[in-house]
Amino acid sequence: MRGYAIADVDLASFDRQFRARCRVQWPDRYRLLDALPADAPRIARGGGVSYVAASFGGDAISQGLGAFDRLLAFDADAGRLTVEAGARIGDVQRFALAHGWYLPIAPGHPRASIGGCIAADVHGKNPARDGTFRAQVEAIELTAPMRGTVVASASRNTELFNATFAGFGLTGIVTRATLRLARPPAALVLRRVPVRDFAEAARVLREAANAPVLYGWHDGRPGHFGRGVVRIGLASDAPETKRAMLPRAGRDLPASITPLPFALWNRAGIAVANTWLGLRWCRPGQSPLALADALFPLNDARTYFAGYGNNGMVEAQWLVPHARFEAFAGGLADTVARDRPLIALIASKLFAGAPDGFSFDGAGIALAIQIPAPAESRQRAFLGALAELAIVHGGRPNLIKESTLDAAAARRAIAGFDAARARLAAHNPGGLHTSELARRIAL
Amino acid sequence: MTALVVGASSGLGRALASELARRKHDLLLVASGPRDLEALAADLNLRHGVAVRALALDLGREADPGARIAAALEGLSPLSALLLPVGVSREDDDFSLDVSRIGQLLAINLHAPLAIVHALLPKLLETRGVVVLFGSIAAIRGRGRNVVYASAKRGLVSLYESLRQRHRSSELRVHLYQLGFLATNLTHGMQLPMPATDPVVIAKTVIDRLAHGSACWYVPRKFALIALVVRALPWTIYRRMRG
Repeated sequence: MRGYAIADVDLASFDRQFRARCRVQWPDRYRLLDALPADAPRIARGGGVSYVAASFGGDAISQGLGAFDRLLAFDADAGRLTVEAGARIGDVQRFALAHGWYLPIAPGHPRASIGGCIAADVHGKNPARDGTFRAQVEAIELTAPMRGTVVASASRNTELFNATFAGFGLTGIVTRATLRLARPPAALVLRRVPVRDFAEAARVLREAANAPVLYGWHDGRPGHFGRGVVRIGLASDAPETKRAMLPRAGRDLPASITPLPFALWNRAGIAVANTWLGLRWCRPGQSPLALADALFPLNDARTYFAGYGNNGMVEAQWLVPHARFEAFAGGLADTVARDRPLIALIASKLFAGAPDGFSFDGAGIALAIQIPAPAESRQRAFLGALAELAIVHGGRPNLIKESTLDAAAARRAIAGFDAARARLAAHNPGGLHTSELARRIAL
Repeated sequence: MTALVVGASSGLGRALASELARRKHDLLLVASGPRDLEALAADLNLRHGVAVRALALDLGREADPGARIAAALEGLSPLSALLLPVGVSREDDDFSLDVSRIGQLLAINLHAPLAIVHALLPKLLETRGVVVLFGSIAAIRGRGRNVVYASAKRGLVSLYESLRQRHRSSELRVHLYQLGFLATNLTHGMQLPMPATDPVVIAKTVIDRLAHGSACWYVPRKFALIALVVRALPWTIYRRMRG
């Protein structure tokens, strides 16, 4: 389309499970962002690092917001920062930390955009303590052809404000956001608590609910299933624990990682990695933790993601209520023992919020299970069994992570799916904002 | 010292503004879109702690842009650098434009730089400053495309020569960059005969050279040789070339 800075570009989701040749607009000024014909299907594209295809596909024009990455206003006393939606979370953290503030809720990838964090309502290092991204957003500005540009907050255009979090970009293009910053801990120490299984991990997670950083790492192999360590990052003022607090820009994980020409995460590779991590991590103790490392753990994971090879990976993330978690974990252990899927890693996190719409929140324990070669029948069957098991136990999927979940399973798994979909549709007349994710789960 | 960037809201202009702010220059930014300009000014001020003033100006319609800009400089530190990465081209610039569009192209690509240089010359002479002009390889030799755009850019070469002829480097330095393709939204997705250069890379080079004496540079450098060859081609051969 001449005059709109649009070109055909090959795009892939971060997990490499969906690829498509898409029309991508690269506006560098507001008038170009607003210039698309009013009836042109579209979707905002920020950092392009969503595991699933949330910013492209579905015959939409992807509107790249990379040029809209500016810091607009900063109140150093109150800790309020207004930014354009294309600003990367890593850059925002760098600025905030340099001025004595930070965003406690941040995804692991530093190139995720603020708009993307809002659209996915991401969680951070301890969602039980901090909530999800919406908890630190004071106001947003959205633009949509039929509605124009509006500001939404908890007291203004409230329905639109609430629907936009975990709205996957379907309520309009978020152009600006005002963020509520928090004071960072002076320093962190990382306490390691080895656990034998998920039941023990759940107990340790619940006891450490107020830690700034809290998550578990677990072995997913049959015979070792659930064994791991809960990592508890605690605020500390001890001078010997102080480390550089600013994440370095040069260390940022790239948006797209070139895969290794072979899959490192086969059965032998996973065994070696898990054994090594077990020896390194699964012993009690504590050590200083740099806030930078706590905020962006994926910066050290380039080889890990490349190791999935061309076939990529899938992350299935399910949040299971406390009352059902041990039964779910037991059933999952049985499934793994029986079907022997390849599982590269499992991470556990504690949640203590209330779900709203499609948000990934609730009161319970979440397991993020990353598996290689998801196209293989054994792996595909495991993902199906996992979804079934999770749904039976009241589990809730993280839609921004899981790229194999179909519309029927999503509908069964999300309580109030139809109401949440209707809420999005009310702010998206004609389904103008769309994506592959929206198409796949029939939003 | 203050640097003035005209055409600052996007592409090379934005990259130049960012690089200047990184090096702690106060800035006056001029472009047509007030929303983009205000956002950029706020960003550079917050990130780098420099004074940044924004002036929204439609160079295609403004009769006396130099006077507006000179007025906007009041109260800022003395002007030491004037950068003019301003320009606009059209796909239909092939003798099919009507007279108003020809006027608009000339206004933005030639009249505005001339008028701004005229208006600010006394201030730049006071600080022994630098004028940085940006030409285009499209203007190396006239073609059936980019007719008005190339004419205007060729006019900038004449402006560069006039300034150099009139003022010694000790009084005023004049830089002219003859640019190839830039990786901006204008070339996004286009099939180009050679790779486009990142404006951030060019901006760093331009600002690195701000203290240099008057000179003309081709970016990328290989265009200097290409320009030499194209200019040396006999007319009978050149006229048969297309593209």
